[in-house]
Amino acid sequence: MTAFLSLTERNLKLFFRDKGMFFTALITPAVLLGLYVAFLGDVYHEIFLSSLPEGLELPQKLLDGLVGGQLVSSILSVSCVTVAFCANFLMVQDRVTGSIRDLRLSPVSPHVVSAAYFLAAYLTTLIICTAAMAVCLIYLAIVGWYLTAADILLMFADILLLSLFGTVLSSIINFFLRSQGQISAVGTIISAGYGFLCGAYMPISSLSEGLRNVISCLPGTYGNSLLRNHAMRSAFDALAAEGVPQPLVEGLMEGMDCTLSFFGHAVSIPVMYAVLCAAIALLIGVYVLLVALLQKKK
Amino acid sequence: MTDNIIQIDHLYKSYGSVRAVQDISFCVKRGELFAFLGINGAGKSTTIHILCGQLAQDSGTVLIDGKDIAHDRKEILRTLGVVFQNSVLDAALTVRDNLKSRAALYGLSGKAFQARLDELKETLDFADLLDRPLVRLSGGQRRRIDIARALLSRPHILILDEPTTGLDPQTRKMLWGVVSRLRKEEGMTVFLTTHYMEEAADADYVVLIDAGKIVAKGTPLELKNSYAGDYVTLYHADEEKVRALGVPYERIRDALRLSLRNTEEATQLILSHPDLFRDYEITKGKLDDVFLAVTGKRLEERT
Repeated sequence: MTAFLSLTERNLKLFFRDKGMFFTALITPAVLLGLYVAFLGDVYHEIFLSSLPEGLELPQKLLDGLVGGQLVSSILSVSCVTVAFCANFLMVQDRVTGSIRDLRLSPVSPHVVSAAYFLAAYLTTLIICTAAMAVCLIYLAIVGWYLTAADILLMFADILLLSLFGTVLSSIINFFLRSQGQISAVGTIISAGYGFLCGAYMPISSLSEGLRNVISCLPGTYGNSLLRNHAMRSAFDALAAEGVPQPLVEGLMEGMDCTLSFFGHAVSIPVMYAVLCAAIALLIGVYVLLVALLQKKK
Repeated sequence: MTDNIIQIDHLYKSYGSVRAVQDISFCVKRGELFAFLGINGAGKSTTIHILCGQLAQDSGTVLIDGKDIAHDRKEILRTLGVVFQNSVLDAALTVRDNLKSRAALYGLSGKAFQARLDELKETLDFADLLDRPLVRLSGGQRRRIDIARALLSRPHILILDEPTTGLDPQTRKMLWGVVSRLRKEEGMTVFLTTHYMEEAADADYVVLIDAGKIVAKGTPLELKNSYAGDYVTLYHADEEKVRALGVPYERIRDALRLSLRNTEEATQLILSHPDLFRDYEITKGKLDDVFLAVTGKRLEERT
């Protein structure tokens, strides 16, 4: 246990002292924030406004709260995965620098070394994403606050789950990487691609049906939708309270990926949690198997 | 307790079609300085990796203190300390953090770690470096920390994998001073891999490896006697008379150096020509002469 905790502490220190890794982890949320400030915020404002019945005027605070909720959920859902990848690049860097040879020369089991990478990456992701969530909540408090205490708790629960998903996914992919070039390539692909795949950059509802069906097979999509629900649900309630017809509110929720369908079947929130948890369990199983196979091979 | 702390028998390892290690057998006696000498790519690193349980052999056995590395890896690793050619510690962390994280791998923490750290910082003189990140240390300072890391668990065997490559003379001297003290005071066995003959010359036993095979082994004296001749350096001599001896020689700055097969031949020659051999010295051939004679290759020169 001493070795496990000490290795985890070492991995955490290395991540936070490596400015390169730390700032790389923040690139995706920063890009997303930049996109919203530059034009996506205005686009979503327009979408909301154009969807409303003629003559219905909404308070600016409510509109900003809705768009803000979408921004916040997108940033958090993408960050949980991209930050996990960056944090887990440490295991690849240890291979590149040879540090892993030193760790494996000790009597500590390779499983302990792998578990320490895993826990450190998860904790790093949680620390950064929790900090990001705090900043996001401050932002929502400024532009339009509609969240309840339950929403905040559920958002945190979503972050716990999505960070775990990101950590185990990155552990499996990084398991096969051996060089700095591979780290850069995978980092770039994940940073650029994951946001599209999970519907953070643009709603899945705006894609073609075929693409929607493909994306609905990816567990990360449901993580994004959970965060959307919990970040926007109270704002949508306020929208309904302003007199917006319920079918229109539901249409807007669907347009924002708060409700998802899997090949035409609506996916409820408990099912979204079940899918995410099952995916995490499956991926953990795969990772444990990979580590065991590697040890056996050696 | 067996006298041999390391015993390797008929070791084979191939990477695809490349036969890295072929039928290697040798043993290392407790407390000795053992040198494993060979050029880069000869098979030294592969043997070390197998010895440390990092790589599985294709066949053969490796016994350390009577235990088989294939079955008692964990137990054996507690008794090994390794200094790699390049530092494998974490550059971004301080010396203290590096040593603390590595000590924990051996179950050393809290007061036990502090006590060991105090001993090592005295032995290796790095008390003033403890809170500096490794990346800010010079090559020599870093090497001291590498040695400290290797010694954390009080190993019985210290493996030095080309430890002085790229080091300045002062740091090399420091390293050998520490190694010599450890051998004397703690009876530590030192397993050295090198391609520098002057380091191997001080070893108790030397194994020469080339293309994955052992090509010669013995004490430095045995090797020199078997594979390298003697040199007689003759001062203030008439070159015409030396040429008349019919012995191969070369002209050096202020003397002539004659090459002879062995000490006996040199002695005979000197006794037969007392008028010619008035100011002279006899030296044995060096290990690089042995290596050249055995492999036809030269070991790398120190830069």
